[in-house]
Amino acid sequence: MSFEGLPKGSCAKKTSFRDSIYFWEIVRGLGVTIGHLVYNIFHTSEMPTLQYPEEKKIYSDRFRGRHRLMKREDGSPRCVACQMCATVCPADCINIDAAEHPDSEIEKFPETFVIDLLRCVYCGLCEEACPCDAIRLDTGIYEIAADSRDKFVVDKEFLLNDREHGSY
Amino acid sequence: MAKLTIDGKEIEVPDGTRLFDACTEARGRPLPHFCYHPDLPVAGVCRLCQVEIEGMPKLAIACNTIVRDGMVVHTMNERVNKANQQVLELHLINHPVDCPICDQAGECGLQDQYMEFGLYDSKVEQSDKGHKAKVKVIGPQVILDQERCVLCSRCVRFCREVTKTGELGIYDRGDRAHVDVAPGVELDNLYSLNTVDLCPVGALTSRDFRFQKRVWMLKSTEGICPGCATGCNIRIDHHGGRIFRLKPRYNPEVNGRWMCDRGRMTYKVVHDEKRLDSPLKKSGGQLAPLQWSELEGELSGMLKPGGVSLVIGSSHLALEELFLLKQLGLQVAGEDQIIGGLAESDQKDGDDLLLSSDRTPNRAGLALVGLEEMKADLLADRIKEARGTILIHGGNPAADPLLAEVLANCQHVVYIGTHVNETAQLAAYALPGASWAEKAGTFVNQDGRLQQFQSAVVCPGSAREDWRVLAEMLVLAGGEESPGNLDTLRKRVSSELFNGQEFDLNTLSALGVVPSGLAEPADPVAGGEG
Repeated sequence: MSFEGLPKGSCAKKTSFRDSIYFWEIVRGLGVTIGHLVYNIFHTSEMPTLQYPEEKKIYSDRFRGRHRLMKREDGSPRCVACQMCATVCPADCINIDAAEHPDSEIEKFPETFVIDLLRCVYCGLCEEACPCDAIRLDTGIYEIAADSRDKFVVDKEFLLNDREHGSY
Repeated sequence: MAKLTIDGKEIEVPDGTRLFDACTEARGRPLPHFCYHPDLPVAGVCRLCQVEIEGMPKLAIACNTIVRDGMVVHTMNERVNKANQQVLELHLINHPVDCPICDQAGECGLQDQYMEFGLYDSKVEQSDKGHKAKVKVIGPQVILDQERCVLCSRCVRFCREVTKTGELGIYDRGDRAHVDVAPGVELDNLYSLNTVDLCPVGALTSRDFRFQKRVWMLKSTEGICPGCATGCNIRIDHHGGRIFRLKPRYNPEVNGRWMCDRGRMTYKVVHDEKRLDSPLKKSGGQLAPLQWSELEGELSGMLKPGGVSLVIGSSHLALEELFLLKQLGLQVAGEDQIIGGLAESDQKDGDDLLLSSDRTPNRAGLALVGLEEMKADLLADRIKEARGTILIHGGNPAADPLLAEVLANCQHVVYIGTHVNETAQLAAYALPGASWAEKAGTFVNQDGRLQQFQSAVVCPGSAREDWRVLAEMLVLAGGEESPGNLDTLRKRVSSELFNGQEFDLNTLSALGVVPSGLAEPADPVAGGEG
């Protein structure tokens, strides 16, 4: 690293011994902490901390949580595998394989519908692009945790049926 | 010549030109249309290419009008645009608008025209639309959806005029009119998938490509069909390293705008389960994988002058590969010991449209390099005589029972190929090469036309482009320095094979070239650059 061009003495300011041990600065910092502690003891209702996971924050209705796939009345997925969501997805996290549906009225359905939740950026473009209202991010689920990466790659059955932690 | 004014622009076209083509020339893009197709007779049924011709009371369709000297034509004024919009609205009245599940979406005439000049609000409720048959299988390759049809009759004209089989027709009248096959008839000809290309909407779709991919996700690479000696120009549509379909690419000198169904299925060998994806060595009767780096030591015995007793090529290899194979053969085996390959029997089912009974894409290339093919019995004799290593590149000679028998008695066969086939099973070493879609190269078709193809997808596993394998072998055998890249190799091929001519494989025209004096084209074609 070069210090050329800097005014003399600008990088190594001389400090006194009293300043260099930071004693008063530490005391001042602790003062702020203790001040908050005392204030919060007497004003518990104003405390911003939530007792998660017993207590949960209420999000707005427009919050985009984990995706779900909608069903038709007969319980089959509403999705027709048009791949609009996969096309519009900026994170390229949706993967659909289409297949022939036995009912010629429906014609096409997703044989696999896989979302990689780790890649997803929760932008909501997929639900906006969907012509069938088949995918929604209105579950309110934000607790997406697992102990291995492949558990974040969720399939059609999971997206259709899993309601754990859901608020819908 | 006729002089006419189109949208204020004066152009001169030969007498007898269709006004449609004159308009395309003047505007730089075609008029809206469904039924007009340059390779089919004019039907004039879609009424979309209406233009205003000064002096005529009503709008006229450009496709069925011949230019006249002094014509003044308007293609974009308010009257024409309004007429087009109304015609399009009529086309769409009973259209199901099921674009999300339609394979044509993304390359659909209705979508394009609607976005270009339609953009009206539909006056018909979805529930009021008329219904016709959907998902009707009309042949081994094609599926019909009558609701989506705009009755342009292109498919009907194709079957009547091009294949002359006439399977399709338009039945009933008015809003009941629909395209169909007659009872008991199937759309089962070798060119049936061209009707899918011709269909401007999603009425006819391919059963093979059905629901495989949305078309806008596909990337296209220019290729040459390896299915027969015609060498149809094709477009390889692929996504994520996988080929989904082959489409014809326009080349007036070779295939026009068509290709056969058999050629369209040649992509399946590329993703075959039996692909050779790693070098294999036979030990204890079984083929076991090994690394490329280990091969150098393993093959050192053969990679020296006199190390190989017979080199067998194949007419399925590209020109560049055949050139290198010959160089390698000269280095390790000697001129008399290089054989072009097994002369595959003529299939005797070629037609006068595109399919050639010669199913090898580069037999003329073999002749260009100076190699000759042999009949199975003669080749078997040569193999019997050979005492040392036999190098087989491409093809599958052991598919012939006679050759399989003699090859089984050979101790040391080295095979460079794409599949674990009969020959690979008999080989001591099987080296994985690239299939036709995974490499770039040049094929010489039956007319002597040199045509180049590009690599569309990557090789499976540790397979390599064949010319790299050959070049490396040549270096190890003490031959010429490796060309390093395809451009240099092509320069070398050009200077050796086309000596004394202004000819370079690196700057081959997109339509291909018939080099003068080198091959005798069966049907002399003008326009070559060589």
